[in-house]
Amino acid sequence: MSAVSDKFVRAIRTDEIAPGGMKAVDLEGKESVVCNCDGTYYAFERRCEHMNAPLDLGTLDGNYLTCPMHCAQFDVTTGEALSGPVPPDLGHDTLPPVVGAYMQNVGMLMSHVRTESVRTYRTKLEGGWVEVAPLG
Amino acid sequence: MNAESRKKALQHFFEKVVGPLGFKFTPDVELKEFLLDQEVILEAKHGTPFCPCQPLRHDRARDMKMVCPCIPFHRAHFDAIKRCWCGLFVHQDVVDPDTLPQLDQKDVGRE
Amino acid sequence: MKAVSMYTLSTCPWCRKAKTFFTKHNVPFTFIDYDLADEATQSRISDEVDAAGATGFPYVKIDDEVITGYQPARYAQALGIQGA
Repeated sequence: MSAVSDKFVRAIRTDEIAPGGMKAVDLEGKESVVCNCDGTYYAFERRCEHMNAPLDLGTLDGNYLTCPMHCAQFDVTTGEALSGPVPPDLGHDTLPPVVGAYMQNVGMLMSHVRTESVRTYRTKLEGGWVEVAPLG
Repeated sequence: MNAESRKKALQHFFEKVVGPLGFKFTPDVELKEFLLDQEVILEAKHGTPFCPCQPLRHDRARDMKMVCPCIPFHRAHFDAIKRCWCGLFVHQDVVDPDTLPQLDQKDVGRE
Repeated sequence: MKAVSMYTLSTCPWCRKAKTFFTKHNVPFTFIDYDLADEATQSRISDEVDAAGATGFPYVKIDDEVITGYQPARYAQALGIQGA
């Protein structure tokens, strides 16, 4: 288990993210996201725990974040995974056999993929900055 | 995944859709909680929170019309009976949902 | 005694109420929980329900009469039950 760090680092200026917005930031080499939920700032790891998509490219509604790739949802205040991927619409066209076989295999593998909660980081406001303490 | 957390999130999203349509969550809290419990189960199984009281046809075009809140796809019917089929939502002026029978569209107006 | 059968969903509270109604009035009935049935049975039920123009479940048949939705007054009327 990673140790909790007390070291806060400047992540982004508060006026760089409007309410409802999200921005990817680099926290000493850790890909992270800072979001603004009606004036309260939260920070969490950037990669979706389903299949690694960049969460800052998703949507934020209140404190609910939807991943852009397969629409898994998370609570940004806790990082909790609320729902898994939504099945895509692949249409009805017959696929070429090699593609069909590939999709079937991928589908089988994906059925074993779990959507875990994302890691969140502590935040504080200091002098117009959002500061974040990534896990050590 | 935690069912209570998911129910809370679903309520957040659903409220925004049904409000402008003139509906609200049923005041029958026990029914609301039960139906949301079922929707969480259906979402975990199928990937989408379907209506607990309509049969899935395994035809995406048809089944998408049963994703909660399905009010937009049954507007005339549900406005006539002041509730959606499973009763999770009722018209905003409804105080006692027990007075709203579960009538199919062809039965509306029938004595 | 009229024959009572129904198509229901294990997730639907109104279907449970319908079953409770007939049990409470000592009316024997058969049922199929559509969502727990095999594909062939689901297909057959789906065709029947579509033909009747029904929105959802419970789908109750009392002899030849089809009643969609939880409608205890109509169940009682169809069965001649007084004061239900």
